Amino acid sequence: MTAWIDFARGPLFRLCFALMVLGLLRIVINTLLGVKEAYQRNPDKVVSWKEILRQTLGWLIPVGRLWKQRPIYSAISFLFHVGMIITPIFLASHILLWRNAVGFGWPALPLRVANWLALLVISTGAGIFLGRALHPGARKLSKFQDYLWPLLIMTPFVTGYIASNAVISPRTYQEMMLVHIYSGDLILLMIPFTKLAHCVLAPLSQLVTGIAWKFPAGAGDRVAETLGFADRPTWVPQARLATEPVMAEMAKKGEIRK
Amino acid sequence: MTSVMKSLTRPLAPEERERAFASKKKEEVIKSQRLPVRYHVEDFDVEDRPRRFLEAFASILKHTNYRVALDHYIRVTSRCARCAVACPIYDATHDPRDIPCYRSELLLSIYRRHFTVSGILRARVLGDPGLTDEKIQELADSYYNCTACRRCHFDCPMGIDHALITHLGRYILSEIGIAPRALVVSTREQLIGATGNTSAIPVPALIDTLEFLTEDILDEKGVHVPFPVDQEGAEYIFFTAVSDYMMEAETLKGIAAVMKATGDNWTIGTGYYDAINYGLFYNDQVMEHALQKMQAEAKRLKAKKILMGECGHASRTAKYFYPTYCGGKDALPVISILEYTRQALKEGRIKLDPKVISETVTYHDPCNFARSGWIVNQPREVLKTFCRDYVEMAPNGRSNLCCGGGGGTVSIDEIRPYRTTVSGRLKAEQIRRTGANYCVAPCANCKKQLRELMEDQGVQCEIVGLHDLIYKAIILPPDLPSDEEATKRSAGHSVSLPEGGAS
Repeated sequence: MTAWIDFARGPLFRLCFALMVLGLLRIVINTLLGVKEAYQRNPDKVVSWKEILRQTLGWLIPVGRLWKQRPIYSAISFLFHVGMIITPIFLASHILLWRNAVGFGWPALPLRVANWLALLVISTGAGIFLGRALHPGARKLSKFQDYLWPLLIMTPFVTGYIASNAVISPRTYQEMMLVHIYSGDLILLMIPFTKLAHCVLAPLSQLVTGIAWKFPAGAGDRVAETLGFADRPTWVPQARLATEPVMAEMAKKGEIRK
Repeated sequence: MTSVMKSLTRPLAPEERERAFASKKKEEVIKSQRLPVRYHVEDFDVEDRPRRFLEAFASILKHTNYRVALDHYIRVTSRCARCAVACPIYDATHDPRDIPCYRSELLLSIYRRHFTVSGILRARVLGDPGLTDEKIQELADSYYNCTACRRCHFDCPMGIDHALITHLGRYILSEIGIAPRALVVSTREQLIGATGNTSAIPVPALIDTLEFLTEDILDEKGVHVPFPVDQEGAEYIFFTAVSDYMMEAETLKGIAAVMKATGDNWTIGTGYYDAINYGLFYNDQVMEHALQKMQAEAKRLKAKKILMGECGHASRTAKYFYPTYCGGKDALPVISILEYTRQALKEGRIKLDPKVISETVTYHDPCNFARSGWIVNQPREVLKTFCRDYVEMAPNGRSNLCCGGGGGTVSIDEIRPYRTTVSGRLKAEQIRRTGANYCVAPCANCKKQLRELMEDQGVQCEIVGLHDLIYKAIILPPDLPSDEEATKRSAGHSVSLPEGGAS
């Protein structure tokens, strides 16, 4: 079993971690390229960057926003995220592993605090699961994986907590560590391919939405042409109104698409 | 000032539900169109609908910017249902299908299944047949139950804009022929009809109306207030929802009075005088062509700025999409009359009598003004200077509640019971609780919807525009001799038509 554990926290971890980093880089770059392309397609360059930034920061630190809708669920979700991010990164034994492999480390949380944070993640994870299962609206929306994720994320926290706190036989300890490390690796690996990718994508949402509301000029006509509706009795104005000569003139100069 | 959202949680009674969702459509029409929706749809090709839907979807993805948003949304959507509480429609129905995220998921799932590699592979493995006719029916029903008010956008931790998806869903549907007849018929008249506006008001009728309004003002205020028509080189060219010329005389009189008091040069063009743009509600091509007509008219008259009347969606399309379609950086500046009046008041160019309005006044934020934060405080500042008893409703400003007729639904007369029992339900309660005599709603859509809402829900509150009240309170300087001459002349003609303008 020791060999399995060593494999999981050695080569397998490195592979999963590398895939996670590369996968996340790929989707972030793709998103930014998409945003750039959309921005270039639109002739109007007025984008309310300030508003986008304000909303983005507002959701990154959502303390002021949580209380408006479903406050309990929102608070639970917030604490869950905080614990889930801080605990594994600042756990002394994780840092030690990292230092042994890579050669540098960073300050760790006191073990007592880390323990409390683990308990926080476990309890709020259960809360998130129940919040989804018990809310009739959320239940209707949810898919299988939506229930799976909180449970899967809780797994390394539960096993890690038991392994480092409970008085258990060495064999049970090893079993706990086995589950702990493999589930941790699995989560890292899955991040770029699932909705967990929101860890890097959510901060880009406001930007994406802001740019997506910027429409390319002439797109409607091109859509109709592509669909073969160019000759349908449609919305294209015909020369009946006082504006027509002017519009024709503008089209000739290329100021509008005719 | 307690929020209605928290205290009103009584779901619809069964008889209310039945009334709201009753369909007046004939069975045979529903059968032949295979479309069990409450709104009327012009006849269209029903064969092979899923394939044509996907073709339209693909074509739109190819030529527009929606793809970047869809790609993003399918990755981040976490289906937490937090948006449910933000939606006034869900609040009334408590139907999970009315949760904004559920609505969006209808389209996102089609995108995932047919336009992503993983979706196509997954379907191969699981044998998923793909888009069905039933799903299109559900889309057509669901996307016109939503009023596209964008309130849920603020409550999505993942930043998904459900109104953008509603907009796209309606666009795709319209390309296979599914769009409310009320909107399509008006748009056709506006873009290829003889009158060139959504209410089919011919130019002579417009001129008559304007003359009548000028005479009215002369009677009431003793001052000659013209509605300048086809003046070349004016500072402002004025566009308002064309229905205002039939329904909102007081608003127009208020606007003309303000323009008279400031002395700024403005004009209405007879070539095109409709600000309504239903394209925002169902089709990007329509939106572009309507805006180009506006641009053409502004160019014809060599106007320097575009002044938008009291109309939310028209102002939003002009403000945010006019530069897109009509010249980018070089597009003319777009100003709302609400901004204009507030600025004029601040500069002391108009005077309002604070003694005239003694009733309780409240303000309804039209979504298309307030949601983006564009116009929230301006009208309030104006109202507070001359309304002694001004009260706020809650929630307000950027997180206001929709009147219930947004997204073009107000123009669909056959769904009035839905609008006044479901989508406008919280709004009615909200207005009732302010106890106001006047509710100021500076938007043609909101005005129509709120009046129907007050009537159907039995709330005693008069719905007015901002300039209706301004008209009551404005102090106009007496006519100069030259104006008096104009007044005399205007006994017959207060507006002069340039040659050929009324053809």
